[in-house]
Amino acid sequence: MYGENGAQMRTELAALLRQHRVMHRLAADSPTERAEVGQEILRYRRTLLTWCAQAIRVAQPLTFPNIPQKPADPFRATSDHGAAMSELVRALELARDQATTTAASSTALATPSLNDVVEHWRLAARAAALAEHDTAPDLAVHLTASQARTIAGDVAAISQALVVLDRRYRNTPGWESLAGCDRLGWAALATALDVSLGQPDFSVDQTGWRPRTKPIRGPAKPGVLGVLQAEHNLLVRLKSIPNAMNLRLIVDSQRLLTSQLVPYAERVDLDLAEQWRARAATYSRIQRELRNVGGRLGNGAGATAEASNAVSRMKALPAGAVIEPRMLGGFQTLFRRIDERISDVLEAGVERGAFVQRVTVPRLVSGEGRLVQPVRERFVPVTRPADLEVIRTARKHLRPRAEPAVASPGASRVDLHAALIHRPPKKGAQSDVPGL
Amino acid sequence: MLLPHAQTLAHARSYVAALADHALTIEASSAYERVLLELDRVHGDDCPALNTDDLTDDRDILLAVASSDIGDLENYGVDPLSVELILAMLVDAQGLDIG
Repeated sequence: MYGENGAQMRTELAALLRQHRVMHRLAADSPTERAEVGQEILRYRRTLLTWCAQAIRVAQPLTFPNIPQKPADPFRATSDHGAAMSELVRALELARDQATTTAASSTALATPSLNDVVEHWRLAARAAALAEHDTAPDLAVHLTASQARTIAGDVAAISQALVVLDRRYRNTPGWESLAGCDRLGWAALATALDVSLGQPDFSVDQTGWRPRTKPIRGPAKPGVLGVLQAEHNLLVRLKSIPNAMNLRLIVDSQRLLTSQLVPYAERVDLDLAEQWRARAATYSRIQRELRNVGGRLGNGAGATAEASNAVSRMKALPAGAVIEPRMLGGFQTLFRRIDERISDVLEAGVERGAFVQRVTVPRLVSGEGRLVQPVRERFVPVTRPADLEVIRTARKHLRPRAEPAVASPGASRVDLHAALIHRPPKKGAQSDVPGL
Repeated sequence: MLLPHAQTLAHARSYVAALADHALTIEASSAYERVLLELDRVHGDDCPALNTDDLTDDRDILLAVASSDIGDLENYGVDPLSVELILAMLVDAQGLDIG
């Protein structure tokens, strides 16, 4: 996820910016050792630069200049398109291409270092390498203009940090300064100012690569945890579309599980108990409406088994058990996702013709000259999903409403901005806090 | 499936569904729902639609008619053991419903 990797980069760079006398931190007194450590840092810096150049390229097409639009000829391309941003792209690409040191290898990125300074650089570089996943062009097609502005702001802050650190490490033996360092610093500043004119959208932190969700294997966990485990596994197994009968079993399990959880929730959180009561009622309704839906396409045997596990483990729970709020929250999160997935399954099943509607026998075919008259039609495909009552219920009651995402800049951004202008405390300065 | 079989099955399904709808607890309703699912499973989910119009609210009558219809399915080539098992499930569900 971009939020995690971006925060890691910023945290490590902020820590580096707070270290002022770096020379003695690199190695005790040996210039050769200092040169070696310097080369290691240069490799990590190259990885950071590579990410910065890639990310700003991804954000650039979506960042528009904040200057008022002229009544321009729409057939002519605007040349002053995000001037500060273009300059930052140019400066970053120059710095990356002119660096003679190679980027750090994956072995180097994964091997911890004993030196504190190098370790901060390594962690920042590792986060940058991982962030290449998050800002890869194929994921970036979903970016909005405000999200792109946030990425541009982040790249500007990180570039500024690299410029400050470059100056600080200049005396290291064999150090290679950033090409066009001053220009990069000014371009980063101009981009940061340009970004601050608009409204950045920090929901970009939630985007990017995520590891695949896997089922929790192994024996059943004791108590409520076992129910949570089965419910989680049910959600994972619901990835494949179940057939109509298995879907009915899954819906039944959710109705039972929710109604059995209500008394436990009532002791801790009344609002949640009320929500779950409504959920049980919705599932009862869906169960009723699914009786006239058939279809043999799909499987869902794994999901059905997990659903049954959840119900049987719930039944085995002692009546006096207390479910703590954190676990109730876990159930609520899983319930939301399962509701959403079941809504998707219903819609997709009807759309693909996997679920058909049972109808009352319309007529018997007579006069075909056959001895036995078979029943004519018992299933009809659904022409429009909304014609089916169960789909209307799922849309209206089951599908959870989108929760407004609270996107804040996060502590790491504030911390890096503060670290950029950090000054070392004066020698002999009295601390406000009395010493012990 | 021939017409009399389809009619009996539709009848049985409708009455079991009505029992599930009128059950006093969710557990009992779920147990009746399992009976319905088992009926569908035995027929490979190739079942006619429900017809719940004008059914009585009296659960004793519903249960008696449902049992008799399920028993009749034996006459249409449904495996007798499956029929007995479904009837046993119906009795269990009723046990849950009475409490």
